[in-house]
Amino acid sequence: MKTITTLSLLGAFASTTAMAQDLPQADNTWFIAAQETIAARVNVQPNTSKAKNVILLIADGNGVGTNYITRLFAGQAAGNYGDEHLLPQDTFPHVALSKTYNTNAQTPDSAGTGTAFHTGVKTKQGVLGVDETLARGDCAGVDAATVANASEIFSALGKQVGIISSARLTHATPASAYAHSADRNFESNDGLSEGCEQKDIAAQLVDAMAAGTVDYAFGGGRRHFIPSDLEDEQGKTGKRTDGTNLIEAAAEAGIQYAWDVDTLAGADLSKPVLGLFTSSHMSYEADRPASEPSLSDLTETAIKALEGSENGYFLTIESGRVDHASHATNAYRTVTDGVEFAEAIAIADALTNDEDTLIIVSADHEHAVAMAGYSGRGAPILGLSMKVDGAGEKYLEEPNLAQDGKPYTTVSFLNGASSVMKEDAQWNGTRNAELTQEMAMDMDYTQEVLVPLSSETHSGEDVAIYAKGPWAHLIGGTMEQNVIFHVMHHAATAE
Amino acid sequence: MNRRQFLATSAAVTTTPCWSSAAEGDLLKMRDIYNKGLGFSPLATSLDGGQIRVEGFMAPPLKADSLFFVLTKMPMAVCPFCEPGGEWPEDILAVYTRRKYEVVSFSRKILVQGTLRLSEHIDPGTGFFSKVRLENSTFRRA
Repeated sequence: MKTITTLSLLGAFASTTAMAQDLPQADNTWFIAAQETIAARVNVQPNTSKAKNVILLIADGNGVGTNYITRLFAGQAAGNYGDEHLLPQDTFPHVALSKTYNTNAQTPDSAGTGTAFHTGVKTKQGVLGVDETLARGDCAGVDAATVANASEIFSALGKQVGIISSARLTHATPASAYAHSADRNFESNDGLSEGCEQKDIAAQLVDAMAAGTVDYAFGGGRRHFIPSDLEDEQGKTGKRTDGTNLIEAAAEAGIQYAWDVDTLAGADLSKPVLGLFTSSHMSYEADRPASEPSLSDLTETAIKALEGSENGYFLTIESGRVDHASHATNAYRTVTDGVEFAEAIAIADALTNDEDTLIIVSADHEHAVAMAGYSGRGAPILGLSMKVDGAGEKYLEEPNLAQDGKPYTTVSFLNGASSVMKEDAQWNGTRNAELTQEMAMDMDYTQEVLVPLSSETHSGEDVAIYAKGPWAHLIGGTMEQNVIFHVMHHAATAE
Repeated sequence: MNRRQFLATSAAVTTTPCWSSAAEGDLLKMRDIYNKGLGFSPLATSLDGGQIRVEGFMAPPLKADSLFFVLTKMPMAVCPFCEPGGEWPEDILAVYTRRKYEVVSFSRKILVQGTLRLSEHIDPGTGFFSKVRLENSTFRRA
């Protein structure tokens, strides 16, 4: 009650009192813009319609900090300072913070987090579609620990189901939407531990498509669907050692197969489609050949395929390689894949109606990324930290220097392979004295890092949830990550 | 022999090849050699058989006293030869050195000079399959 009263008073002040008072800042553009924001917020009304369609967009590793870097990159690419920019998700009316930890891990992995938002329960690190009673790797215990996942639950509601990922379709996040596995690494039979009788993840996807709980699956990971002695369309061999060709098995079940832009364009979208566009993960957007569809291409195709569904659809979309670029401490590909994720969000929003489609955008976890100060406005976000102009707005063309007299980038990571500490110097190190703006902004530059690890790590800090559409107002405050599923399910089943 | 011992041994018994100051052409980046979606760039095709200079990082080598290492465009801490399940990136360059070399940390940028060869080759010592390599190479720290 106290909160409601306070909010009401704030609303009254913003909409009436301030306007009525003669304030010296009343003509200030920041003041006016803020008044307009308040007026828009006052008009936000809860949508309590039933959600016919639910779209969940996850950028793996796109926490609040990473999203901020991408926002500035996109804004600067548009010719602005960057910080005034809004990504599509930034404009959504309802936002919350998501607590991402796994039941046994302060710093989560994508299997545990994917299971949280695709099943409604948190679980351990490394497992898929099972509850926390299962020890990772315990194949014999999978059945007893199995929980229903999003593809099973939403298809049972009569909805069609689509799954998209720019990673392998058998990778943790997309797999958590359809699979039950004691280990995320059981992507094909060759990865199963000895004596493990659980079905591998790729086989589970084809089973799900044959059973009708998944209708469209687009992503990478072809190698986990074909035998090790078979070359695919791109001359790469498969991983399977059981001789099974799951693409052929899918075809026998009436599921079409697409492997590039042309074969996807030629598919009959009124029927199920398995799209496997690369042997492993799909390309980073910065490296993507024209023959390979982008994440936004796949989003558009999936929505156009699903929109005729009489009872609506559930579509889960993962931008999987934001995470991989951060693991490599290559901020350029983090943000260029982040921009492509934003494009997919924009297309999903443009092709759907707020009245009947709930759209939720979030991340599974953040990375150990950090932004150093103090740059003036407009300093290239991937470049060196540049001095503030005390008399103006735009940054000065003079880098900030550390106490060692050397420049530093605004974006860095705490740990990773690009550590300043080198093995051939007995793990001592010094920073690069010759780092220039051009070097720092090169697309292959890897950020300066302190702690030497083979791969940069996730972090456990909160990530944002952005929502619009039916029951999006249930997203608010600081929430456990698994609540996302419950919001989607409530919206789809509300009477 | 663990990696630290390997590095120390390599440093003690090998000779760092000298870097020619008369390197030909511009300093290339790894991405200059490949097209998006793989295949080689027109520039790489035009330079096949000629001397090039390219910058990158030395992936952790499998063997001491070797004349072979893999150049990557970004630091790569894990040696796919050594780690089960490890994977090479697709845009890499096999480097054959003129003489035994001193191992450089995977995160230290190096400049490599050698003869570009665009042809399939299997390294006899490691079984590493490559479609592009630098032969008779020398390198130095950037």
